[in-house]
Amino acid sequence: MVVYSFYIFDRHAECIYKRRWLPRPTSTVGKSRSDTVSGAAPTGLGQTVRSTDDDSKLVFGTVFSLRNMVRKLGGEDDNFVSFTTSQYKLHYYETPTNTKFVMLTDLKSPSMRIALQQIYINLFVEYVVKNPLSPTEHPGGVGVNNELFEESLEQFVVRAL
Amino acid sequence: MAAPPRHATMQSISNGGIAPGTDRPQTQQTQAQLSQQSPGLRVPSNRKTIYDRHLNRSRNAELSRASFAFLFGEMVTYAQRRVTGIQDLEKRLNEQGYPLGLRLLDLLFYRSTSTSSSALSSSSTSSSPPNRPLRIITLLHLIHGPLWRLLFGRAADALEHSVSPDTPNEYMITDNDPMVNTYISAPRDMSMLNCAAYVAGIIEGVCDGCGFETKVSAHNQPTELWPSRTVFLVRFGDPVMEREKVLERAGVK
Amino acid sequence: MSSTKTSRIGEETRVDKVNAELVTLTYGTIVAQLCQDYDSNYQDVNKQLDKMGYNIGMRLIEDFLAKSGVGRCANFRETADMIAKVGFKIFLNVTPTVTNWTSDNTQFSLIFEDNPLADFVELPDDGRAQDELWFSNILCGVLRGSLEMVQMQIEAHFVSDVLRGDDTTEMRVSLVRYIEDEMPPEEE
Repeated sequence: MVVYSFYIFDRHAECIYKRRWLPRPTSTVGKSRSDTVSGAAPTGLGQTVRSTDDDSKLVFGTVFSLRNMVRKLGGEDDNFVSFTTSQYKLHYYETPTNTKFVMLTDLKSPSMRIALQQIYINLFVEYVVKNPLSPTEHPGGVGVNNELFEESLEQFVVRAL
Repeated sequence: MAAPPRHATMQSISNGGIAPGTDRPQTQQTQAQLSQQSPGLRVPSNRKTIYDRHLNRSRNAELSRASFAFLFGEMVTYAQRRVTGIQDLEKRLNEQGYPLGLRLLDLLFYRSTSTSSSALSSSSTSSSPPNRPLRIITLLHLIHGPLWRLLFGRAADALEHSVSPDTPNEYMITDNDPMVNTYISAPRDMSMLNCAAYVAGIIEGVCDGCGFETKVSAHNQPTELWPSRTVFLVRFGDPVMEREKVLERAGVK
Repeated sequence: MSSTKTSRIGEETRVDKVNAELVTLTYGTIVAQLCQDYDSNYQDVNKQLDKMGYNIGMRLIEDFLAKSGVGRCANFRETADMIAKVGFKIFLNVTPTVTNWTSDNTQFSLIFEDNPLADFVELPDDGRAQDELWFSNILCGVLRGSLEMVQMQIEAHFVSDVLRGDDTTEMRVSLVRYIEDEMPPEEE
């Protein structure tokens, strides 16, 4: 399997960490929008030229809308786990503190729910939350990108997945 | 702000219960009984005070390591707000550890005597006074062994004497993986920082409490196997070294 | 969630340990340092302790959730139970009693039989500390910070403390409101 990218969003809806391993493949049929999730964030996930910054906003918009719809349909405790487009698979994990973990992989990937939970428990909490030299909150992503966290995330994604 | 004398800075909260053989509890209670108007401290009617509970009750007690990490972390954050740089931050952490060292020293002595004399005498306060280290090596062994075990559950990893003839007053205590640094990942511009300066302050407090004037600092000495390996450099003052020579000649151990 | 099940989570959650005296004495040096920095203005010390606790709470809640694996609570009564039987059990190895509920279930008290933070402690005999200083005030901040992270705005304060000569140590906790999810900033 291939991991394309990974995002963390905090409770203020801000992207506090993003990491790209490989560029996500995009539909090449013109400016086709056929691979977007209907109704969620129909603003052209298929475009080819876009900064990762824009990407993260779209990713947030997508998971935020989808999560809220899922809750309306299935009750407050319901949540979506992943969704698949014709090009990639998006995996989602949310903590009760509203911290959101998102990973984009290729279509062959198995469920990453446990993996995202492990990243939260073993990497984010241990190396970011407990690091006194990181601020308590991370406006602009300050403090998340510390050496221990980045190295162990790299190891986890490259070796364990 | 001018720095007050070190011993004077530790008195704002009294951890009186730690001092062994103290006679304060009696005097204070007597005062309270003599006069209701006395300004002494109020105590709960169930007498749940430090004087009514055994000093060894928490001897083997354990608490969450995360709780320590969070408290220590907040101490570092608080210290950071008022400092000019890394050295200044380490100085403040050192100052926070210092009073702890003075108190732990009392606790160490109290425990080492009460265990050795309890079999012989039921009253530990009347037994012979604890053995305060007189020589540098005895003191350093106390730190490397009992103090480290009390704080971190294991002895320190190494104890060395400077090999340089210019610095016979320098000793090194090594901890391969200091517990206080478990969760600390310093940003690159702060890579020199070692928050174990707090522990250095504790060591300094223990040494000072024993009458060994000294300066202790914490230094990063990472190895492949131990990325957060820390060396505590203990530098004894000239008067200590002079006295050491006299004791040596007199054959004091 | 049933109360006994909550207790079991508190008992069974695995926790790395350290010597309790290191924690107690470290907290003592923090309070002592504040008393010195704030010139024994105990109201300011209380405030600062609460602030430090708030910062800790915002971090601690993540560790709590990661370790205990519990999800959202159904109501404030369940939250109180979770705080006492799982939160305090994991982080301070004590289980305060939850009591004195108001009829609308928005306020309760935590009564502490034991308080490891205050072990070895006697307040300064200056005629003021026993009336003004809440030695363990950091705990109020911890609750405030933790609960804010799980969408509850609360208010917490001590109403009595054995260190002040009271017979119990009691903290009062009130739910102010539930916090709505934050939305991403609107794009133009």
